[in-house]
Amino acid sequence: MDTDRFQVIAPLIRADYRDLVRGLTKIAWPEFMLHDQVASELWHELLDRFPEYQLALYDTENKRVAAMGNSFPLRWEDSLENLPEDGWDWVFVKAVKDHKQGLSSNYHCAIQAVIHPEYRGHGLSARIIEAVRAVSKAKDLQALIIPVRPSEKSKYPLTSIDDYITWKNEEELPFDAWIRVHVRLGGKIIKTCHESKTIRGTRAEWEEWTGLKFPQSGEYVLADALVPIEMNVERDEGIYIEPNVWMVHKTR
Amino acid sequence: MNQDRFQIITPNDLDDYRDRAGEIAEASWPEFMMHDPIANENWHELFDRFSDYQFALLDTESNRMAAMGNSLPFQWDKELSDLPEGGWDWVFIKAVEDHKNSIKPNIQSAIQIAIHPDYQGQALSTKMVQAMRAIGESKGFKYLVAPVRPNEKSKYPLISIDDYITWKTNDGLPFDAWLRVHARMGAKIIKPCHEAMTIRGTRAEWEEWMGMKFLQSGKYVIPRALNPIKMNMEKDEGVYVEPNVWMVHEIR
Repeated sequence: MDTDRFQVIAPLIRADYRDLVRGLTKIAWPEFMLHDQVASELWHELLDRFPEYQLALYDTENKRVAAMGNSFPLRWEDSLENLPEDGWDWVFVKAVKDHKQGLSSNYHCAIQAVIHPEYRGHGLSARIIEAVRAVSKAKDLQALIIPVRPSEKSKYPLTSIDDYITWKNEEELPFDAWIRVHVRLGGKIIKTCHESKTIRGTRAEWEEWTGLKFPQSGEYVLADALVPIEMNVERDEGIYIEPNVWMVHKTR
Repeated sequence: MNQDRFQIITPNDLDDYRDRAGEIAEASWPEFMMHDPIANENWHELFDRFSDYQFALLDTESNRMAAMGNSLPFQWDKELSDLPEGGWDWVFIKAVEDHKNSIKPNIQSAIQIAIHPDYQGQALSTKMVQAMRAIGESKGFKYLVAPVRPNEKSKYPLISIDDYITWKTNDGLPFDAWLRVHARMGAKIIKPCHEAMTIRGTRAEWEEWMGMKFLQSGKYVIPRALNPIKMNMEKDEGVYVEPNVWMVHEIR
């Protein structure tokens, strides 16, 4: 695939950005991932508060979006090793709060890089990460941090995330494709964040999202989930707590 | 689909019966299920010793084999509730031993009903169970027992088989489609057999069968398996122990 064919676009340079990226998230994620409460409440803030940090790769041949990268700036004074366990959910709330309070930012955080399913396997993940990284530089932020979702862990839901991130392929690079993309581009693993995203739903909601049945309390494996969910029939609640991996790309 | 279109045939009706039956097995089972040593060592015995108990459904329109059924006779004087945990593996060996020792059989056991994927969802399963029962009837047996593989449990690998068999649909029938086919025809659940099939392989073999990697010892969920497998790196061995459900049809 000719990579020059893809152009980086952003809301401020394309008035139709919103329309172009609409639906991409839905295609790219399993249904249950669209029910993270923090994401649902705050998603609009990305375009309202941080439009310069939203990017997409536009396929100039087919005139549609092939990939999207979403990020924002935040203030972080502590060492990166102290980034919290609730990675993704935490950082989104934090960035919005910082912005509301007018705090000056020193870090850049990416919360999503998605590739349209029809464009996977063409190296666009590296391109979108590079595009996001270019923003860190342009905004003079000291590093890009990311609560990375190691998507291939969904095939290994019973393996702990701490073990999983030590797995290597034959070239001694990380086993997980998304972690590997970052490492190839110079990113480093900081540590795991075990409660990066928390998704709650009633039993009926989980049945609708997954097409499975949950007749009794206990742990259930779901397609595309990184760990099992815990269903509590008495409380009529199922909880999915997704582990991610904090990674960092230094800007300079 | 016109049901008369399907004709029951026996191994003597087709020169290439076993080849065609083999194709159905390959199309309907996941690769790892083809590596049960007891099945592989003894499969020929079905045709050598028990050919009356093997049959298939021929689609007379396309001249294709749509489904196949395998069963065998054995001798059982104890209670049905005493049928062993070793289920499938056990009954196969028992029948061959009984036959070798000229012990007169008094009961029939199902070994397999496989519907070619192209013919699934057309109620051929019921037709196949009926045909199998008719064989038992013709032999004068009172019972047809079956170590049933509850296929849909593969979506619930973390639920115990003992719990799973209590799950019901809204009609009060068993949740699992295969258990339901038998129950609708009047069969009763006797009890689960927790070690109905045991499949062992080296790590490399499991990696080849599954297209997965096994980088550390532990439990792994694998597609289409009813339970997780246990991988032991030090012993270079992965073990899958499949639970089935002993069911019984009272033939007369």
